Amino acid sequence: MQQEVVLAMLAKEPSHGYQLRARLRQALGPIGDAMNDGQVYVTLARLEKAGLATSEQSAGLPDRPDRKVYALTAAGQQRVAGWLVQVSWPRPDLAEFHLKLIAAAAAGLADPLAIVDAQRRELLRRLRDAQRAALAEPDRSAAGLLLEGIVLRLQADLRWLEACERNWTPRKDPR
Amino acid sequence: MNEFGASVLRARGLRKQYGKGEGLVRAVDEVDLEVAGGETVGVMGPSGCGKSTLLHLLGGLDRPSGGELWLAGQRIDQLGERALARLRRDKIGFIFQAFHLMDELTAAENVELPALLAGRPARWARRRAAELLERVGLADRAGFLPSALSGGQRQRVAIARALVSDPQVVFADEPTGNLDSQATVEVLRLFEQLHSAGQTLVIVTHDSRIAATAGRLISMRDGAFVDETRLTGGSTGNLGALAGLT
Amino acid sequence: MGKIRLIGRLVGRDLRYRPGPAVLLVLAITAATATLTLGLVLHGVTNQPYLQTRAATNGPDVVAQVGGAGRGAAGQAATEAQTRVLTHAPGVTAYSGPYPVASAFVRFHGIAAPVELEGRAQAPASVEQPKVTAGTWVRPGGVVLERTFAEALGVGVGDRVTLDGRAFRVAGIAVTAADLPYPNLCYSTGGGCIFDAPYSGSSPLAAVVGLAWVTEPDARQFASAQAPLYYFLNLKLKNPAAAPAFADRYGASPNGPGLIPWQAIQTGSGLLVQDEQSVLSPGAWLAGLLAIASVAVLAGGRMAERIRRVGLLKAVGGTPGTVTVVLLAENLTLALIAAAAGLAIGWLAAPLVASPGAALVGTPGAPSLTLHIAVEVVAVALVVALASTLVPAIRSARTSTVSALADTARPPRRRPRMIALSARLPAPLLLGLRLVARRPRRALLSAASVTVTATGIIAVLAFHTSVHLQTAGLAGRLGNPAAGRDEQMLTILTVVLVALAVLNAICTAWATVLDARHSSALARALGATPQQVTAGIAAAQVLPAVPGALLGVPLGILLFAAANGAGAAATTVPPAWWLAAAVLGTLVAIAALAAIPARIGARRPVSPILQSETA
Repeated sequence: MQQEVVLAMLAKEPSHGYQLRARLRQALGPIGDAMNDGQVYVTLARLEKAGLATSEQSAGLPDRPDRKVYALTAAGQQRVAGWLVQVSWPRPDLAEFHLKLIAAAAAGLADPLAIVDAQRRELLRRLRDAQRAALAEPDRSAAGLLLEGIVLRLQADLRWLEACERNWTPRKDPR
Repeated sequence: MNEFGASVLRARGLRKQYGKGEGLVRAVDEVDLEVAGGETVGVMGPSGCGKSTLLHLLGGLDRPSGGELWLAGQRIDQLGERALARLRRDKIGFIFQAFHLMDELTAAENVELPALLAGRPARWARRRAAELLERVGLADRAGFLPSALSGGQRQRVAIARALVSDPQVVFADEPTGNLDSQATVEVLRLFEQLHSAGQTLVIVTHDSRIAATAGRLISMRDGAFVDETRLTGGSTGNLGALAGLT
Repeated sequence: MGKIRLIGRLVGRDLRYRPGPAVLLVLAITAATATLTLGLVLHGVTNQPYLQTRAATNGPDVVAQVGGAGRGAAGQAATEAQTRVLTHAPGVTAYSGPYPVASAFVRFHGIAAPVELEGRAQAPASVEQPKVTAGTWVRPGGVVLERTFAEALGVGVGDRVTLDGRAFRVAGIAVTAADLPYPNLCYSTGGGCIFDAPYSGSSPLAAVVGLAWVTEPDARQFASAQAPLYYFLNLKLKNPAAAPAFADRYGASPNGPGLIPWQAIQTGSGLLVQDEQSVLSPGAWLAGLLAIASVAVLAGGRMAERIRRVGLLKAVGGTPGTVTVVLLAENLTLALIAAAAGLAIGWLAAPLVASPGAALVGTPGAPSLTLHIAVEVVAVALVVALASTLVPAIRSARTSTVSALADTARPPRRRPRMIALSARLPAPLLLGLRLVARRPRRALLSAASVTVTATGIIAVLAFHTSVHLQTAGLAGRLGNPAAGRDEQMLTILTVVLVALAVLNAICTAWATVLDARHSSALARALGATPQQVTAGIAAAQVLPAVPGALLGVPLGILLFAAANGAGAAATTVPPAWWLAAAVLGTLVAIAALAAIPARIGARRPVSPILQSETA
């Protein structure tokens, strides 16, 4: 879980750890179900250590992590502001697969087409799952939007795999 | 609706070729296919691989050059035009990429057309059309002309039309080819609904989203089947990984 | 300059790419212009032949019918007195006669016909000597027949005939300018026969009296107590132009001689051609209307392809003006070609139609195709082409480029009531009625064309009926060659009309099949059998044709009555079963003409059409 994400979630108002968790869950939908609960607290602790957030004990309650109230520090706010205007984008990591195919062909270890087909099948399955989940979400839900994004990325990857298939298909002589 | 599991569509050695000698083009080359009741089968492939031609053969819109074809236990590759027309009327539903609605008819009038051609009484046909438009979520647009409907809505009307005769199989030829992504989702939803209602579907597409609705996905190249994938059974598990969360 | 060349190239390419409709268009306009040319040329057929005959026979300026005052000396004296007055009148330079004229019946091979016999000397007369065209002049026991009369009887030189039972031989055949040719001998204008023999039968017989010459003694034999002799006196005037005045002056008294100036005979001899005229002009109008309807349908039918071309032209920078010009240029070019062809055909056909019987020396020769006529015909052709393409041309030039390219510029009409009604009908009628409702204007045009055709056919039937009525009581008698010629004219016209109607039906059917291509393919994909689709397209043609054909019945009867003029005693109505047969025959023909292209289209595989065309 990226630190900046949690920081940004705190920007609205100081919150308990469990409140943060709930907000994340809501934003992520079914994907959020796979999230490790503990992750949030680990990240919060790191943030505190880095001086980007502070914590306060809720009055009159035992000293347990989910009773702490966390808030942004000035440095933390600065970090969030900087993060919001960043335009970096997660990098596609296609080089690995690309090199896999080349290596297999060069060394004669495996048929590149078979590798492509297998990968296609896997991606199709994932697409199916993501799509099902997306359709199950109500209209205009935040989670639905995220799932749509996943689906579209998978679709793009599948298109590239089709291109790989065309490229690696041995040229046939006209019959 | 058909018996779940029994074979609804069967093809053996199906062929379609054009020209002869040097100029012979094998659009469909010895295809074997078996579709059970309630299945959704997807056919994918690059342009010109013959998938649309195959669909037209399966749906009785064109005559095969050779091979055998059975639909609901009846052999249909040798049928005359008249019998094929009756088949299209009663047992088959077809959805086209270009929708092919009549411009001067409203949505309801478009949907009821196959029933009227089959000789059904006008009132019955109108009621059935209303039912189906409700099913595809366009009950409030029944009196609209196609020019007043969006692309996705038009295709949904076409889907309703394909269901009028409660067909054994519904064939769809690139159903989302002319649609934007939102309209694609509308159609997707419908296909999932049809599938869960037990309708047998055969879909030709190059859109992987539509293909992903299929339980069986067949790849086609140069007129022949080259690969088959079963997409049913279990989820892949960690959706979170897909989102980049872990 | 470059623009004109570009337009020319566009037009040429289009014509070469799709010659079919262009050919149909040319045929339609050609038929109309040919009929029009024929009508106009005939109108201008002068009475040259009459003048030729008059010159060859030294025809009289005035023909006097004297006598009839009774037999015996008193009658004889009266006749001589009348003769003297006339031959001594001022202005008379020469004369021949008086020749005795008797009435008799000629019989030949079972046919009997009344004939006026004029007694002549064997030696040629100085004034009014009929020109012998076959055989020789009169001799004792020999009769010379007037040429059209001889043709009608079917006799030739040397045949044996009987005149009132007495045997005679046909000595020769001749023409004259002093009388109207058979069968108009008894017409009041320029004619006036004195046939007086008793006969039974209806009055039409009087109109079919023939003319023949025998020797004077032979003629006198036929005079009887009941029928006093008349005499023909032929006068030549110093001033031939003054003949009508002369006739008025000396022919006024009721008991006196009847005088006929040569101008009246000239007019009368053109009557045969006039009859044909009265048949030809309404015919030409009908043909013209049909041609316009065909052209309009063709223009409308091509609109669909046109519109896309218009869009392309505009998208690459053509102004609406340019676009209109390109569209019109094509049709006007075709119209010009058709006009030229029509002029040629009309001119070539005119002599066949215009020969005013064989009664006069010489044929009319090449009927004068004046510049005036040519200009009129070309103008009509251009107007026809312009009228039917102007509206679509302007409309297409004004449609927005976008909609033209997207082919939505001419969407079919929507008629909710027709659609609801057709839902209750069986599949072929459902398809047919909806096709009609899509293009109401074309349906209207189609109905109008059928009305025009039916009107023509019913008018012809009415004519045939009237001819039959006339000849009903004339068993064994001669027919009227005028009627024969009229019938010939009408047959030609009917053939032209029917040909045009077939052309029109093909044009409409083609336009419908083209327009319905997508809907028919879709209907078949949704389960309509090819037979249902074919029947639907045929029904789409027949449905508007029904009111059209029914309307043609009263119109056709009225047209015949009007064309016949005051001559028709009562409007002739053909028998009911003829009418029913005509109407049904037209409808069946239309259905068949539509079914052929429809069937061909309905057998084609469905997928290519549905793949290439959008909804």
